[in-house]
Amino acid sequence: MIHRGVSLYSYQQNEFFHTMNWKDELREVATNLQGADGIEIISECTIPHYPFPPESFIYDWNNEMARWGLKAVTMDTYVDTLQFRNHVMTFEECAERLMYDLRLAKAMGFRNMRLCHNVPMDAVRIALPLAEELDIRMTNEIHAPSPIVPVEGEEFGETVARDVAFIQMTGTKHYGLQPDMGIFQNKPNRVMIAYALRAFMSIEDADAASRDLVDRFDEMGIEEVTEYATKTYPQLMQGPIARHLFRGASAKPLDLYSIMPYIYCIHGKFYEMTEIPGKPGQYEEKSMQYAKVINILNDCGYDGYIDSEYEGQRSQQDMGYEGLPDEVEQVRRHHEMMARLIADKSYVNFEMKF
Amino acid sequence: MYDSFLVRRDSLQNVCKDGEAVGFKFAVQLANYRGIYLSLVNGFYVNMDGVEYDQDDLTLEVNGQPPRTMTELSKAVWEHWDLQDEAYVNVRKPGGLEKGTHKLGYLPSTMDAYGYQAHDEEWVKNPPKPGAGGGKTFRVCWFDLELK
Repeated sequence: MIHRGVSLYSYQQNEFFHTMNWKDELREVATNLQGADGIEIISECTIPHYPFPPESFIYDWNNEMARWGLKAVTMDTYVDTLQFRNHVMTFEECAERLMYDLRLAKAMGFRNMRLCHNVPMDAVRIALPLAEELDIRMTNEIHAPSPIVPVEGEEFGETVARDVAFIQMTGTKHYGLQPDMGIFQNKPNRVMIAYALRAFMSIEDADAASRDLVDRFDEMGIEEVTEYATKTYPQLMQGPIARHLFRGASAKPLDLYSIMPYIYCIHGKFYEMTEIPGKPGQYEEKSMQYAKVINILNDCGYDGYIDSEYEGQRSQQDMGYEGLPDEVEQVRRHHEMMARLIADKSYVNFEMKF
Repeated sequence: MYDSFLVRRDSLQNVCKDGEAVGFKFAVQLANYRGIYLSLVNGFYVNMDGVEYDQDDLTLEVNGQPPRTMTELSKAVWEHWDLQDEAYVNVRKPGGLEKGTHKLGYLPSTMDAYGYQAHDEEWVKNPPKPGAGGGKTFRVCWFDLELK
């Protein structure tokens, strides 16, 4: 059964401006998201004074989670390879960091701990016995532009195959995969295009131009739109984020079948929830293939969480307070969509019958 | 990210020592969605009224400690700068700034990572020049700040 949760990453802007803290965020998830009950955190955002939080925080956390009946699904951790500055972090030091975070995750009741996609297996091997002892599953995130099916010669092209081989060889139940919905992003994300356009356009013009570009995807392929954009807005393709603007999907939803037993959590990445024309109160994320992915997960009986990961705010913080998006509203819309798609068992994906 | 909000707009003030203005400072927050180890702070691009300042002229006042140089920060390998916490960038400028509005160009450079990267070894020896790499905000951000 597909469960719904939220990564508190989604509320990062509220954290930055001190307009919500983790307790406010837990209450929001528990009370306004149609039965969502999963919580994912970024260790270095939610945990005060990481990596040495006061013991009182741990009690407070577990108390608050119990109060709202929430499940601690996944803790996201990072590997800052230049932490020591005078040398690149060794695999042993990397494993130490993972093991330290595993203990924190355990104290806070988490089931999974997400690793970045660039954590070497040499470090994973060292940390794995502790993960097994604590019964926490480490998950390697499959993040764009990584594929699921191996692509030789591409950066991260073989990572998933490497992971699957490792899991099969060791038989471990404590190392798995965490796909990010961003790998299925097959249309550009409008808010990022608008951000890039604002470098040389007014807010209003950038808004209109970004909508025009995204609408063109209804009839044109990614290459055609890229060509059109390059011709119409030469400056757009010279900016520092140009390579992210018109990237195609790095994986197909159907690829999920090959890794289904190893998926322990899914990142519900999204950039902008917009109302579906003619369907008041129903929302969609036009750049992502949510309907297909959720259909496949239903078909396979995926028993785990999809955690909302709202990221569109990051591209809208260059205007003023009035231009900031409402993270709370965006996440609520995301859960309207997910709850509706999860409940819809009538959807038939002909493609997958072959 | 946070292009318009990395510097608190009412925070500009002169720094005085023994009754003399020796520089100015302004309040900043991390350009990130998470906190980072202080050692990962590589420096700051600071352009005040058209003058670019060297990293040697900058110190960071964070976590209730006195201002620290970039070299001192690089050794704070277990001290964390939390996302929610403000810090002051101190800039050495004998005489300080005049009262009135000043134009600040600002971009932090940090070395937080998603795991091992191709540039890791290079960055140990030659970290990027602040303003030209490192971090999650992509362009220099401009602020009109008033010194009261």
